[in-house]
Amino acid sequence: MSARPDVLHSIGMPSGDSVDIVRKTFEGSEGPRVAIVAGIRGDTPEGVRVAHTIAGVLGTHHESLLGRVDVYPCVNPLAAHRGIRHWPFFDQDLNRRFPGRPDGHAPDVVAWKLVQDLEGAEMIIELRGAHPAFSETPQAHVRSTAESAAELARHANVNLVWMRDPGLAAPSTFAAQFESTLTLEGGTGNRLTPGVGQALAEGALNVLNVLGVLPDDALPFHWAAVTRPTTVTDAHVHRVRAGRAGLFLPGKAPWDPVEADEVLGEVIDPATGDRLEEVRSPCAARIAAMRDQPVVFPGTLVARIVEGADG
Amino acid sequence: MAEVFRIEAPYREPCVLERLTFGDGEGPVVACVAGLHGTELTGVHALNIVARTLGMLRVKGTVHLLPIVNSFGVDQGTKRWPFDDRDINRAFPGDPEGSPVQRIAHALLDATRADVCVDIHSGSRVQRELPQVRVPLSGPELAYARAMQLPVVWRRAGDRLEATGLVGAWREAGRAALHAIGGRAGDLDVDHGRILANGMLRLLSHVGSLAEGLVDPGDVLADTTRQGVGYHYSMCGGFWVPEVRVGETVGPGHLLGAVVEVVGGRRLEEVRATREGIVITMRRYPVVHARELLVRVAERL
Repeated sequence: MSARPDVLHSIGMPSGDSVDIVRKTFEGSEGPRVAIVAGIRGDTPEGVRVAHTIAGVLGTHHESLLGRVDVYPCVNPLAAHRGIRHWPFFDQDLNRRFPGRPDGHAPDVVAWKLVQDLEGAEMIIELRGAHPAFSETPQAHVRSTAESAAELARHANVNLVWMRDPGLAAPSTFAAQFESTLTLEGGTGNRLTPGVGQALAEGALNVLNVLGVLPDDALPFHWAAVTRPTTVTDAHVHRVRAGRAGLFLPGKAPWDPVEADEVLGEVIDPATGDRLEEVRSPCAARIAAMRDQPVVFPGTLVARIVEGADG
Repeated sequence: MAEVFRIEAPYREPCVLERLTFGDGEGPVVACVAGLHGTELTGVHALNIVARTLGMLRVKGTVHLLPIVNSFGVDQGTKRWPFDDRDINRAFPGDPEGSPVQRIAHALLDATRADVCVDIHSGSRVQRELPQVRVPLSGPELAYARAMQLPVVWRRAGDRLEATGLVGAWREAGRAALHAIGGRAGDLDVDHGRILANGMLRLLSHVGSLAEGLVDPGDVLADTTRQGVGYHYSMCGGFWVPEVRVGETVGPGHLLGAVVEVVGGRRLEEVRATREGIVITMRRYPVVHARELLVRVAERL
């Protein structure tokens, strides 16, 4: 059986044309159903690239698949078209519209149709990118109570598996709609980062292998090459914030190790260039995310660091 | 005027949250906020009218007015805090050690410790709203809402994400909280601003901060729930041409507007009222997608 490109939803535009949201289905013999979803926000091209890389491998090996993989390479094409986070025109964050509704405006209908379409999937992999202001190490996020998803995430070729407690906005996010959602992200926001896309694609393919959907001989790499991640909870993750307003100049890169009190970067006065502050690490840690959009206020997040990560 | 919060900013002077306080301090405490979204300016105008009025009157108790919260957003014409594009109204209850919007949210919650709190917004940038107050289906807020005598009292179940919004945070803190709306984002509707201001002044009379009868009774047109409101959506994308305005009375079959082709103007859809009532919401931006809200009609009181 070959890949079937299907239209999940066609968005009719006021000017008369339409924009399609596409799903590609790869189905072999009987086995679990896995879904790979990318591009919920329009500023995450890394996820879209990873989805297409995965689809390329699945297309080559679809006869040997043991199960079904649905790939949704870009759920929010109008935002991706402009490289912006929110659904344009409505200015809606699609990742705050779930589970959607069948009788709402286009973002709500797309959210609803996606959730309906994913019913019955045993595993869902959401592909994202870093926030546009940050660079991130390849990482997986799962719900703090989802032990089985966390176990799978350890095979996702990432440096970090973060078991997160849900925030106040969590009920309206895509990931919260399914207990088993595994979110992969990394790289630089709204950019493609050399190496990161490939790492995440190989991680997702390895997860498919661990699930038994993709046979060993279809993996385009040796499983032993997969990174062994550190698993952390919210208690291990520290948010480091600027204390002054100015330009933040990072001194570290994602996954660099840092000692307690080591300088992570500095804030300078944009008018004079004078150093206003050295931002220091509160503990020995590794850098999970580092701000590289330099304009900061007091309290702006400049780094997310992970305590106890042995790398 | 008192400064209740200040945050240093790169390239410019700090962002300062100013609070105007009136009254003798003996009696009820009322707080009213506008400009949480930087494009919603009718509420700013309304609170400035209230401030000028209170400055000429004897006020019992305490009245806190915060006419502009998101001052950087106002300066730059953006709804959200313009740095990192964060919505202050999704940052509550806030955190004094958190991100800039969390710090603003925390300071705002702290600066509005009051028995009754009102948050004034505009409709979205695409639709105009008749001045209205939205309250829970029951509870102490309902009496306060009705005391404002705005054209519409809309009793509604809580909105999604309310826990991170100012009104939800006030309610979590045990304060009576009202959500007032009027006009359209990106626009100053002078009439709606005056109506909202008068509603605030009636509320202040109701709680005893002002003498009764300072403001004429309001023209309350609807006092309703979700079931009493007819929603009209576009069935297709196109160019929306309205035929009525907010505040107009319509009956069943009344033409509310039409969706026409963007090029050529061929009529694609006529939108007609299905009930007798008052137009409380009207789409003003003409380009529409399918399933977008065009008009809301509420049953008349």
